[in-house]
Amino acid sequence: MSKYDLPKNFDYKDVNILKQFITETGKIIPARVTGISASNQRKITRYIKIARYLALIPYTDMHK
Amino acid sequence: MKKYEAIVILNPNLSSKVEEFTKKFEKILVENSFSIKNCEDIGRRQLSYSINNHNKGHYLIFNIEGDPIKLIDVENKIKYDESIIRHLFMSVKEHSEGDSQLFLDSKKNKHEIEDDNETTPKSKDLKTKQDDDALKKDSHQSEDNEGSSENQKEESLTDNTDKEKDDE
Repeated sequence: MSKYDLPKNFDYKDVNILKQFITETGKIIPARVTGISASNQRKITRYIKIARYLALIPYTDMHK
Repeated sequence: MKKYEAIVILNPNLSSKVEEFTKKFEKILVENSFSIKNCEDIGRRQLSYSINNHNKGHYLIFNIEGDPIKLIDVENKIKYDESIIRHLFMSVKEHSEGDSQLFLDSKKNKHEIEDDNETTPKSKDLKTKQDDDALKKDSHQSEDNEGSSENQKEESLTDNTDKEKDDE
């Protein structure tokens, strides 16, 4: 029923998947809004943080 | 022995010297008893934010295997290499099989650029249309949340007016 189709295996390199879980300002969307399973939410959070460090997705929309 | 994934972002100005760098990097790894299973050259990519005044970076991903203690030595050598603008070593349970999504995306982009140069404008239009559709879908998804909440508000408003009418 969830509007997100998550594959079995994904990681920080699947930028297109991760981009669904950040707001326009770059924040991680909370689990109560996404409605995905807790374990998937933890994975998403971890991978978003790695992808941010590697400049694959932005920390914020205030970057110069 | 532990399995690692190394991501290196190179200075985009040295993009032409990637092969030299990979040889150098492999040498450092081999000296420290690491074995390289796979190397992915993703190529130049737009950075989401500027690092050391660079807006683009050349991404390389290595699947390596070796001793955790020696990894510190490798990292110490890489730290002061100015051609690297960012690097990350991550331990993984299993090396990912096949090409990563980043690599596939970069391939696709390259093909699109080549196609644009070679093929007729018809295919171009189709591709851009597909892209537009994908964008629309994305925007719809993000708007869905807001839209629903607004609808709820409107409904509550109309409910109130109905009640007022009933009262009269």
